[in-house]
Parts: sequence; C-alpha cells; structure tokens
Amino acid sequence: MLSAVEASHSCAFISLRSNFEFWILMQLSINNLLPTYFPDTRKQTSEVWGKELSFSPGEMVKIVAPSGSGKTSLMHFLYGLRSDYNGEIGYDGKLSIKTFTAENFAAQRKERVSIVLQDMRLLPEQTVYENLYIKHQLQPYHPVEKIKEMAERLGIGSKLNSKCRTCSYGEQQRVAIIRALLQPFQFLLLDEPFSHLDNNNSMKAMDLMLEEAKIRGAAIIFADLERIDYFPFTKLYHL
Amino acid sequence: MLSFKPIKPLLQTGTNAASRWFSYIGLGIGVLLLLASVQMFVNIQQLMKEGSIRKNGFDFISITKKVTNETMGQPEKNVFSDKDVEELKSKPFVTDVAPLQSNLFRVQLSAGNILPFKTDLFVESIEDEFLDTVPPTFHWVEGQLKVPIIVSSDYLEMFNVFAPSQGMSQVSKETAMNIPVVLSVSGKGQKMDLYGSVVAFSDRLNTVIVPKSFLDWANKAYGETPTQGYSRLYIKTTDANNPELLSFLDQKSYVTNRDKTKMGRTKQVMEGIFTGLGVFGLLVVVMALMLFSFYLQLVIARSKENLQLLLLIGYSPLWLSKNVSRRFIPVYVSIVLVALALTQVMQWAFHHFAMYDREELKTPVHWSVVALAVILIVLSIITNYRLVKRLLYKLF
Repeated sequence: MLSAVEASHSCAFISLRSNFEFWILMQLSINNLLPTYFPDTRKQTSEVWGKELSFSPGEMVKIVAPSGSGKTSLMHFLYGLRSDYNGEIGYDGKLSIKTFTAENFAAQRKERVSIVLQDMRLLPEQTVYENLYIKHQLQPYHPVEKIKEMAERLGIGSKLNSKCRTCSYGEQQRVAIIRALLQPFQFLLLDEPFSHLDNNNSMKAMDLMLEEAKIRGAAIIFADLERIDYFPFTKLYHL
Repeated sequence: MLSFKPIKPLLQTGTNAASRWFSYIGLGIGVLLLLASVQMFVNIQQLMKEGSIRKNGFDFISITKKVTNETMGQPEKNVFSDKDVEELKSKPFVTDVAPLQSNLFRVQLSAGNILPFKTDLFVESIEDEFLDTVPPTFHWVEGQLKVPIIVSSDYLEMFNVFAPSQGMSQVSKETAMNIPVVLSVSGKGQKMDLYGSVVAFSDRLNTVIVPKSFLDWANKAYGETPTQGYSRLYIKTTDANNPELLSFLDQKSYVTNRDKTKMGRTKQVMEGIFTGLGVFGLLVVVMALMLFSFYLQLVIARSKENLQLLLLIGYSPLWLSKNVSRRFIPVYVSIVLVALALTQVMQWAFHHFAMYDREELKTPVHWSVVALAVILIVLSIITNYRLVKRLLYKLF
C-alpha cells in the first residue's frame, strides 16, 4: 500500500500540491495538438488534431485512425514518450505535461495512466511471469495471485514460465494487456491492442479490460484502424 | 514492497570478469599507495622530531664558508664579513647571529707536571648570550693571570677514548676542571704564561672558549695576522631544520657541521620521496575511478533497452539510480578496507622489523590514514551515484 510519504517522495509534481489531490480524478485534455512533422492542413480534416478536447474518467473514447494518421504518435504523446508536437496536453488541466520531469512521469505512469503499446515492449529475456511481476511490484493494485488468474483467463497460463521472446506475437500481446491491468489507473491508453489476436481472444481481452476499467472508474482511450464493434464507446473521433 | 531483486538480472554486467577484476586491483593498488605514503610521512615526522639540544626553544648551529678550489688560499673569501653577518641577521628564520673570534697569536697548552703533554691550541670567544653554561667565574680583566676556559664536552669524550692508547688515564669532568693548565701565548716577539682552568663544559659549542675580553686583549697584544673577519658564526634560530634556512645556507655555500641540519636534509629528501609517492598514488586512484566510471557507462549502455522499458512502465529514475549505484558500494568499501588492512600490516612490519619497535613510532596506523580511507569511500560512493543518475536520466 502506498504511504503518503512514499507518494510525496516519488513525485515532485505532487510536491506542488497536497498529497490528497493524488486521488482526485484526472482530466486528460488536449489543445491544438499536432505533430511537428504534420502540415497544418491536417487540422482541418481531423477530429482530434488541432482541436480542444477533454476526457474524464469513466468515458469510453474510440479513435478511428487509418494508417498514417498519426495514431501511434498520438498515443506516445499522451503517454509522454515523445514531445515532438505543437499544442498542449494536460493531465489535470493546468500544467502542460511538457513541463513534467522524469520523476513526474514515473509517478503518473505508476498510478494514473496505463498503456498497451502497439509494439508491446516486453523484456525479452525474462519470463512472462517475471515481466508481469516486475510491473506488479511497482504498485500492486491486485494481489499477486491475480497474475496467474488473468493469464489463465486469456489463455496464456501455460506460458508463465516461458521467456517472452519464445512467445508468439499473440501471446506477447496478451502479456502486454495483462501488464497494463495490474496497476491502478484512471486512464487506459490502447494502441491497436488486438492486432495479433483472433476475434475470440480479442473479445475475451476486451471483456477483461472493461471489467478492470469499471472497478477503477477509469476511462479507456482506444485507438485502432477501424471501429471495434465490441467496444462500447461513449465518444467517437476520427483521427 | 518494491524490491531491486527482480531488476538485478536486467543489468547486463557483461561476461568479462577479468577486466572487472583488473579495475578492482588497480583501485586497490592506488589506494594502498596513497594510504601507505601518508603513513610513512607521519612516521618521518615522528622519527625526525628529536629532543634537541635547545635553550629556551632555540637551536644553535655554527656555520663556516665552504672552502672550494677557487677560494682556497684567499682567506678573505673564506671568512664572514660584517656585511654577511648583517645579511644573516636580517633573515626571518634567523633570530640572532654571533661571530666567533679566534686567536690570531700562537697559544700552547701544557698541563704542567700532572699530565705530561704540550700542544698548540686554538681558542675562540663569543658573546656570553650564546653560551649554554656561563659560570660566574667566567670573566677576565687585563692583568689577571688566571684565564677561565670552557671546553666542548665532545673533546673530553674524545680524550677519554684515546687516552688509554697513549698511556694516559681517563679523566672525569670534575677532575678535568681541577687540572690547572698553563697557557703560553706568544707573538710579535713576545711571550707570556698564564694559568688556565676549565670552569665548564659546553654541549653546544665544539671549541675552546675563553672570555671575550681576554681574547680581544691578547689578539691586540700578540696577534700577528691581521683581523680579517670571522671564520665561524653561530646562528640562533627557532628551528634548525627549517627548509628556508637550509636552502639559504646552500645558496650561500655556508657549511654547517651539526648533525641536526644533516638530519634536516635527510628529512627533506624523505618527505619529498613520500610526497611524490603519495601524489602518484592519488593519480592511480583517480585513474582507477575513471576506469570504474567507464565500466558503469558500459553496463548502462548494454542495459539501455531494459532500463528504458522500466522507466516506461513507471519505475522512478531516482529509485533506479540509487539501487543501481548501491550495488557498487560493497566493492568500494571492500577495496579500501583491504588496502587499509594491508597498510596496517606494512606499518606493523616496518615498526617491528625495520625500526626495532622504537618508541617514537606507533604500531597502529595514524588517524589521518583512517580518515583518508573513509573520505575515499565516501567520495567514490558519491561520484558513483551521481554518474549513474546522470546516465539514467539521459535514457529518459
């Protein structure tokens, strides 16, 4: 369980406010956002680029993004992996995340924002279980037994002791999904999370993610090439 | 609780254990050199600090001018002029200067019937202030037939060493002071006999001292060689080992025959050697630490992707820096402690075998050596941490 002292130590951003606000609901907002390598004309044809949008926990946001529209870039910007954009992104409306330090981001990623990346990014030489445990021990939202439970639910229970590089892409993707669900979050960012899964496995994974978001009261921002019918979105945007 | 254990295997330390051990050994040697040099420096200070023959905290040394092939035969070049005396007096490391006046006439010493010998003698005089013992009998006025003499205790010692081989009996200080001697002075075609007796022995002045009033009178009355200057000077100084004093004397080619300054020069040389060794040791330490930092950079570069991934999923760069650098602390501590232990062993061996357990030295290492070891440990930990932190933040 995170102590108030630990929270204030690990997040310089928090030192700007009181510890209690950490549990306050986030607002994810974007304003006039555009990658530096996109021409301004994109703003006219997009429902996201160059617009002022705001997302609150609990919302289900679907972003339809054909190839080349900057889908992965958008996810990377939102998560703070890259900053080659113009415009602003705010986690709580006031500060642009461009001002965040490495420590600020670490704190946010530990407790408030989670992501499933298109290229998965697992530790290749560690086992599935180790990959998940390393994420879990950072901020345990569930008891450690939940790891096995989720793995079995998504059909990779037998792969727990296998090194990730020996797993298929579909298996790796499911590992990445479970990893994202082991922490507390108010926003779950998804970048083509089912690209290597068949329909059956996709639906199972979607069910799990919706459950986990619901118990946290969290929002999901789902970016994909097309609409996904089994994602009950409350907002729909075309990138 | 957040543990570093599952993270450890993510750091690729590389399979080359040999190069790692090389840097450990290198650091160990550097630290050992540094600590041992400091300890030897301390040893020198303790050994060379002697209970010197000092009066009221001053050292007295005599100096003459060095007789070289060039100056030989030119007496005026080998004596001190009044100007030389003034120059010496002006130096900050010289408290006072007193010239020794020597006899310019012929004087012979005989012991009458008691000790059958007669010898030519040299006598000198100096201001009373410079004498270490001045008995109340040490004065002379014109017309007085008795001349008090102060003799160097070294001479008595020497006499007692050689007396048996000459068929003479050894003499104690008290006996020597009771032997009446005859001083025969001659010059300018005149001669005169006076009675002399030893009234004191000097530990400081290695000569035969007569009252200044007597020598001045006798030089005037019987002196054949003209007064030219002083062949010897006595310097009163606070520290005969003062390097400034020694280099000044060297510069002017003044020679002193006191062991004290010889010791001072030896001390200078030894201090120089160990300072050089210490500096060398410091350089080795610096190089070894640089090697360590290269090694660290290599580890982090090799583990770059893993570390970036950890940062991506929310691990704190600060926490990672602390834990990664913490891995190296035991290494640094062990190396320095081993070097410290070896220094202690060397000190014990030096004290016991080379110095025969002399009291001036202590067997345990000096506190400054231990303090230095601690400083080295702290320094290496801090620089290590800062380097790791900088590298990790760059990954972000």
